[in-house]
Amino acid sequence: MLFRKLFQVLVVGGAVLGTGANSGCSTPASAQQPEKKGDGGAQASTQGTDAGTPDAGSGSGVQGW
Amino acid sequence: MTEALRRAAAEAWAFRTRVELEAARRFARLAGTVAAFDPDSPVPALLREAAQDERRHAALCAALTAAYGRTPPGETADALIAPQALDPRSAALYEMVAACCITETESVATLSTLLSEEAEPEVERVLREIARDEVAHGRMGWAHLAREAASGDVTFLSPLIPAMLSGTVGDGLFAPAGPDLESRELLRHGVLPHSQKRATFTGTLRGVVFPGLEKFGIDCGPARAWLSAREQS
Repeated sequence: MLFRKLFQVLVVGGAVLGTGANSGCSTPASAQQPEKKGDGGAQASTQGTDAGTPDAGSGSGVQGW
Repeated sequence: MTEALRRAAAEAWAFRTRVELEAARRFARLAGTVAAFDPDSPVPALLREAAQDERRHAALCAALTAAYGRTPPGETADALIAPQALDPRSAALYEMVAACCITETESVATLSTLLSEEAEPEVERVLREIARDEVAHGRMGWAHLAREAASGDVTFLSPLIPAMLSGTVGDGLFAPAGPDLESRELLRHGVLPHSQKRATFTGTLRGVVFPGLEKFGIDCGPARAWLSAREQS
């Protein structure tokens, strides 16, 4: 129940805030245009996607509560 | 309160002081970055407001750190976390997803869980004040992701999510903890027992973060595999 509520408040609410869309979850442009930003695609091809440890230079995350 | 519990509470609030200070710097920087390529976005103004919120949160956390007998940490460096190869716009999206869609969303879940339990009056006051703002901070990330997904391709993030998650929590979260860190007495001091912290983290990923990212076309297969691997380790 908590997670469902958080999804509505944060994900859907945030999307509406950002785009003004009614659903907040319209079809992403990625489904319409295959181009990629930066070289994220190249990054993707060189990184493990099998739950492995990230490579050096592959970025990190933000610690929180 | 035992000495071990006091130390655990002090450590938790000191850690929170540091992450709030880091968030203040990150949000202030990202406000300028996002405004440069998306001047019509509501997100930069929210980021500037959030930076001020985080300074206030850090002061609240520092006061509790001191109350539990530990010297609060001071200013921290502004850590850039995006892969260096990403262009500035993609790097900003990476940071917004890592800092807001993942970390702030996890923070809201943690705060909600803590507020469902009985806490010391001053702890509860601090938790409530911070929780009110963290909802807005989480929304900022989803708002920015929605805008970027509406105007371009965000699927490049898919294989990068595991790195974000690895930087969000240490592997220690998935290891057993001693009785001091599992004590439910910690809840009165605003700290989740270790196993409850892990359950909140994983539940929020599966119930909020992963479905949210997938709504915008980001495949969470790598992220789900990352989580499963740690749960089985």
